[in-house]
Amino acid sequence: MDTLSIEATKYTPDIDLNTNGTISFIGKSYPENTFEFYAPVISWMEEFLSESSTDKITINFDISYFNSSSSKLFFDLFDLLEANNDKSNISISWIYDEENESAEEAGEDFMEDFENLNIQLVKR
Amino acid sequence: MIINENKLISEIEHLQSNFSLVTQKLIKDVKRQDKIMARSDKRQKEEYDALEAQLNEIKSLQDEIVQTQIEIIFTMGAVGESRSKETGNHVKRVAAYSKALALHYGLSPEEAERLKEASPMHDIGKIGIPDAILNKPGKLTFDEYEVMKTHAQLGYDMLKYSERPLLKAAATVAHEHHEKYDGSGYPRGLKGEDIHIFGRITALADVFDALGSDRVYKKAWDDERLLDLFREQQGLHFDPKLIDIFLNNLDEFYDIRSQFTDKFKE
Repeated sequence: MDTLSIEATKYTPDIDLNTNGTISFIGKSYPENTFEFYAPVISWMEEFLSESSTDKITINFDISYFNSSSSKLFFDLFDLLEANNDKSNISISWIYDEENESAEEAGEDFMEDFENLNIQLVKR
Repeated sequence: MIINENKLISEIEHLQSNFSLVTQKLIKDVKRQDKIMARSDKRQKEEYDALEAQLNEIKSLQDEIVQTQIEIIFTMGAVGESRSKETGNHVKRVAAYSKALALHYGLSPEEAERLKEASPMHDIGKIGIPDAILNKPGKLTFDEYEVMKTHAQLGYDMLKYSERPLLKAAATVAHEHHEKYDGSGYPRGLKGEDIHIFGRITALADVFDALGSDRVYKKAWDDERLLDLFREQQGLHFDPKLIDIFLNNLDEFYDIRSQFTDKFKE
């Protein structure tokens, strides 16, 4: 499988899904049709998690603004990661600006809901 | 004897376990949706509050800009008046008469207000007239009067470059407030409705105030003499429609005059 890169737009983040196990989401996320926009990302992740032999997966979320559909989508993504948690060593960083309260709260929600995942909140 | 367990039971137990898994997942999803919704509501409220605060700030800044324009115009008018024998109240009275005339004439409240705000600039060109002429005691010579008359064009030239509606109105008023309905005025000798309504209104308001209010250097005309003049000049100096409005609403104009009376020491 190939690495998938999606460039940022005004409404969508820069996404880098690298087959070496380094994954990042950087920017804002409020697409007009969130589920359509993230569909290829979810399929890539599903395929990667089922096929990959990479033992270390590092994921950086650096999302400064997101709508509620994106929030739902991140939960789905975390579900997927949690289901594969024992196969690989998954490390997730949720990066937020100090004054960005809603980003911080979202990070806390993920930590609370996914106790088995290794999630770090990284204040910038 | 061992009774064979009904096969249905194991099937139902299997269903029960599956059902339990599904309901657990559903409960988890519903809780998650509620959480997302609550977070989203909270953020939406914060964002809306912030937007509203910013909008209010913009509105108050916009108001500040408009008020600043009005004050600058009034102050420039007062600067002009301060060089001559007129008083600040002359400017205020002419502005108030003009607005009242404009409303009776049928201009929109916005236009009437704009005329009121622009009106203090009608004599701004006088800052370009030499003191010796502007404040000469006694009658002006023919040549001096010709110089004095240039104040209308001077005022227009000072204001004509602006694209702001208020300053454009001020330019028109400065330019046309000495035009006469019959075409015998200055600087351009415009006639009838070729004279902008702002100019026709200011002409009447300015003369009414000049003759009808006490000055340091002369007493006001008595009202009968004043009204005779306006009746005589209907259609000559002044727009006949405006004279009708003026004569039919005299009390309103007298009220304005008494609101801004100048007090002079005897």
